[in-house]
Amino acid sequence: MEDGEPLPSYEGIAAAFAKAKAEKEREEAQGLKGRSADAAAANKLGEVHFKAAHGLIVAFFSWILILHVLGIYLFTSGFLLTRLVLDQKSECSVPPVELSHAYTPGSSEAGCWHPRTFKKAIVIIVDALRYDFTVPFHPTGSEQPHYFHNAIPVLYETAVNNPNNAFLLPFIADPPTTTLQRLKGLTTGTLPTFIDAGSNFAGTAIEEDNLVAQLRNASRRLVHLGDDTWHALFPGYFDPNLTRAYDSFNVWDLHTLDNGVNEHIFPLLHPSNTSKWDVIFGHYLGVDHAGHRYGPDHPAMTAKLNQMDGVIRKMIDQVDDSTLLVVMGDHGMDAKGDHGGESDDEIQAALWMYSKQRLFGRSSPAYRTPPATAKERPVAQIDLVSTLSLLLGMPVPFNNLGAPIEEAFIGAKGDDYANLARVNRLTAAQIHRYQHDYALARGLDESLRASSLSLWKAAAETWDKVSATKKPTRDQFKAAVQTFSAYQVETLSICRALWARFDIPRMLHGVEVLVFTLIILAIYARGLQGDRTELTPALLVRGLAGAVLGAVVGAGFGFAVPDLPLAHTLVYCTSVGGAVGMGTAFWYIRRRLSSPLPNTIWGWVSVIFTLALSVGFAANSFTIWEDEILLHFLCTFGVLTMISSFRQKNTIDRALGVYHSILFIVLTRVASLSRLCREEQMPYCKSTYYASTTSSTSAMWQLAIPYAVAFLLPNFIRSYYKGTRSHQGSAVLWIDFALRFGLLLSAAYWTIDAADDGEWYPGYSEMLKTTKIIIAQITFAIALAFGYSTFSWAKPLLTIETKARGSEESAGQVVADGGTSSITILGYANVHGSRYALLITMWMLAIFLVQKPMGAGAIGIAAWQIFSLFEIMDTNKLSDTPIGPVVLGLLGSFHFFKTGHQATLSSIQWESAFIPLRAIKYPWSPLLVILNEFGAQILCAVAVPAIVLWKQPPKKKGLLGDVAKAMATHLLFYAVINLATTMWAGHLRRHLMLYRIFNPRFMVGAVVLLVVDVVGIFIAIGGTRWSFLSVAEVFGWT
Amino acid sequence: MTPTNTVTDLSKGKPSEPPIEILNNETARIYTHIHPVLVLSLYALRFKAIVADPVPALTNTLIPLGVMQIAFAAICLPPTGSEAVVAEKRKPGEKKKPGQGKVASAVNGKVIPAFLSLAISTLAATPILMLTLILFGAPISTHHWHTLLAAAHISLLAVVPLIYVHGVDGEKWREIVACLLPIDEVYGCLIGSVLGAWLGAVPIPLDWDREWQKWPVTIVTGAYIGFAVGKLVGGTLLKGKKIKFE
Repeated sequence: MEDGEPLPSYEGIAAAFAKAKAEKEREEAQGLKGRSADAAAANKLGEVHFKAAHGLIVAFFSWILILHVLGIYLFTSGFLLTRLVLDQKSECSVPPVELSHAYTPGSSEAGCWHPRTFKKAIVIIVDALRYDFTVPFHPTGSEQPHYFHNAIPVLYETAVNNPNNAFLLPFIADPPTTTLQRLKGLTTGTLPTFIDAGSNFAGTAIEEDNLVAQLRNASRRLVHLGDDTWHALFPGYFDPNLTRAYDSFNVWDLHTLDNGVNEHIFPLLHPSNTSKWDVIFGHYLGVDHAGHRYGPDHPAMTAKLNQMDGVIRKMIDQVDDSTLLVVMGDHGMDAKGDHGGESDDEIQAALWMYSKQRLFGRSSPAYRTPPATAKERPVAQIDLVSTLSLLLGMPVPFNNLGAPIEEAFIGAKGDDYANLARVNRLTAAQIHRYQHDYALARGLDESLRASSLSLWKAAAETWDKVSATKKPTRDQFKAAVQTFSAYQVETLSICRALWARFDIPRMLHGVEVLVFTLIILAIYARGLQGDRTELTPALLVRGLAGAVLGAVVGAGFGFAVPDLPLAHTLVYCTSVGGAVGMGTAFWYIRRRLSSPLPNTIWGWVSVIFTLALSVGFAANSFTIWEDEILLHFLCTFGVLTMISSFRQKNTIDRALGVYHSILFIVLTRVASLSRLCREEQMPYCKSTYYASTTSSTSAMWQLAIPYAVAFLLPNFIRSYYKGTRSHQGSAVLWIDFALRFGLLLSAAYWTIDAADDGEWYPGYSEMLKTTKIIIAQITFAIALAFGYSTFSWAKPLLTIETKARGSEESAGQVVADGGTSSITILGYANVHGSRYALLITMWMLAIFLVQKPMGAGAIGIAAWQIFSLFEIMDTNKLSDTPIGPVVLGLLGSFHFFKTGHQATLSSIQWESAFIPLRAIKYPWSPLLVILNEFGAQILCAVAVPAIVLWKQPPKKKGLLGDVAKAMATHLLFYAVINLATTMWAGHLRRHLMLYRIFNPRFMVGAVVLLVVDVVGIFIAIGGTRWSFLSVAEVFGWT
Repeated sequence: MTPTNTVTDLSKGKPSEPPIEILNNETARIYTHIHPVLVLSLYALRFKAIVADPVPALTNTLIPLGVMQIAFAAICLPPTGSEAVVAEKRKPGEKKKPGQGKVASAVNGKVIPAFLSLAISTLAATPILMLTLILFGAPISTHHWHTLLAAAHISLLAVVPLIYVHGVDGEKWREIVACLLPIDEVYGCLIGSVLGAWLGAVPIPLDWDREWQKWPVTIVTGAYIGFAVGKLVGGTLLKGKKIKFE
């Protein structure tokens, strides 16, 4: 470019300027580049220096990114234990073990693996039916019965009066005690984990083998009545004519659902209708809702339980001989009537089975009375799966871990141990088959299940002895039952250990790595004096040397001590080695260290905002209401800068500062009107993100928002450029035409999308789809392809004006004058800032497109606020303080919520993957979802360098170091948040809100940190390379 | 009004103006300590009613609060423009005889300015504070009376004494807003009430299901407590200190 054609005007300027400089030795006229040969060589050297320094800074931040990845990996691998979902299904004709009692398997009519006992079943779930509701109240001391006591006596009465027809047992749930998780357990027989790897991540349908699927495969006609959660889990499984589902979310409504179930269930029991169905699943929610609304100790609970009592009596009356009637609670409720956690009151439900045939028995006369408390003779909820399967002649679902319930198989006399042994053997054998396949699929070590394998062997031997005996005695069968049961109990406890426990050392080591990285980042960001570019090489070299050393030690440990997993020691030692290496580097440059603690009000405010937010994540309420807290903090920041602006001596700075501070606050508040509430915010939050609270499409008026942004925002941005006369050159083409056109196209995209969704033009759907995808692709091309070409090739936004003497009006832009004319460089005042900020607007356009109309408005506001923030930083001279990068972090987090996101899995807008594409395409689809999910944080991260570049003199020393400092501060903000959410999630791992609140927030924090790391390094710091080079084209390096 | 060099002096940290002193007489010195106790007692007394039904209770509480603030200003504080005179008068220790027309001059010189301060803060400061509350996240479409009353309480607590002492001079108020004045009892009331109200937002989101968490009880409570603390600390520990931003 040096001697090419495109630069003639600048060459001229340089010459004129050099002349002027010679005439008047003005010190502050930091001029254009020198023309002598020496100067040219020095300039070349300067460029090489810059490129090297820039590369080292990118390398340093990449090293921080790697440390973050390693720390998060270690913690996550110990925290989010996953269970692999096996796709295998149990088959009717393939019993898990050879049947030894002359029974031919394979007929689902007669019973697949075992003769069936019942042809039909009615399975009633009374949601939140706690065990102590069902047994008579025995006062201890002077305690009075509560409203929930003695209100549903039918279960206990029948079990005591007709023990061969009915039994009642405590029924223990595996937490989390939420209905959805419970239904999974009650139909698959397996344990819940946070992530069931292998299942469809976004969907809820159960893909594992389960009882409902087995019944359907055997062509049983299934009817479901009540809670619609069943349909999310088993879509299309039920007879559409007889099934009635009701909305389960309206907890204030105690009766609609229950009355609806009653209305439809009793006609089905009528003899004329019993041929229409085989199994009915009825799910009553009234008791649960009464608990949520009033708590258990309330007359409404008595009334509800009384109603259920009547319902069950009526069913007992009407049910026929061949039908099994099961009534159970899926979980209990705590003293306030809520559930979800793992307290005793929440996990202790009741199970009752009834049949007109005298089939049930007790192995001991003492067992005739149902247990007085749930601590005696409880059965696990997963035990229901094998029990019901075998009673109805189905195979036991493949992944089942539960055991058959004794009362159902021991016979009316309570001594049929042969039958009990057979069902126990079948179930245990299925568990054995499952465990074998699971170990294979997961590559698990045999040693993990050595104890259960030896029990299996023992049980098989016992059974072999029984089979070898011609007439086995009762005791022999009893012994077989015990050995199979021992195997099942042991396997279950191993699985619990595998799936429901946390690997504490890994979690701790992960946290340690994150803490070390945080300290390094904090010192780098705020604890070093002078230019960071000078210090980065030492840090990087020693850090890498330490890491290599650490890796060698870690690998050595991993191989030498087989008990320690190699991956764990390697990762941990590498990170610690790297951190120690950096530590020695800090020692090496110790003269340049200063206290990273803040010494101005802005430093303190940055620390307080970050720490207050971090501490708040320990409380579920503050996590739930994060959006409002961020609003509060951002407004506080605006008020502080307004106060600070009032302190400014220069009246222009004062007026501008106050104006932009107020603008910043008002824009924050306007953006806050866009909300997508999470469930826990109800009823104090009203969603406005979509047309209504129950839809996920935009309202008509919302479609106008992107158009408004397209018309207004380029003008606003232009005004920020015009203030310093920087609106020229490439900025005109980009901001006024390309950006505006791109924004209009995005707006059009969302209109066409609405037309397609709403079927405004039926029959043209295909055409609309094609059009909108093309529009989206063009917009991306404008934003990224055209945008990046503009950004990398644009010259600094400068022009030269030569004026006759005496007509100078803009004093600040006169850099030299000689003789009769003065030279004014328009755009000089903000040459770095205006040049770099083009990059922000490009990414703004890309993010704008992938947000829904309401979110597009939020992104438009965010961009406007970012430019206001630059002005605030400038007029208050805050570019060296940490507040700018921290406020950008707050702003990014705030607009994360304003673009329709929450820290929950369910709020991820998966459909954004399809905006410019018809089908999933890697790697684009995940990138699009990330661009949608974290668009606000990405935009703010891209804006960070402009904080320190805005309106800085072109040749200010150490600008690149300032960029590194600002970016380190920005990353520090997210690193603190990530560390805090990580530690809280680890610390509160037994908290009942772990899976709903703390864990999702931890995951968001971790992903955001990594995304912002990547964006900050490669897009923001990477982008400064182009803008610095381009500015130096004109002003030189020296 | 104030020349620019005053501002320069201020920002350099030179106390161009002394902090406001309480009037130099027995009544003033005693009442200034009784006053926050009275204000807090009033609030404590009305607290249950405010929690039960904020709008009428807060409205009714405004009147006694206004009376108390007027009394505080009239008894303890030098009215605007009189600081120098009062300070000079103090030194000779000759304050027993203010001259003729004692009642009339007291009414003219103190009670009327106090009422004026009340009127100005109600009319000018309350809407600004209400707007600020809404910008900070107060409900935008509902609870307008709640927010307005909260703003009224804060402005009575924080602004009445300030207007009484400093008047309505624009440059003066720029310095007040810019936190450029030295801290004293009156300025402490403002800073304390505002910080208290700011901190009052903290317990709102907690899931304790308490009646008092409702809007705007915590904000007003924070402002009252902040008022008392700010007044105490401003008059003692931090007296004469200045807030530095850099």
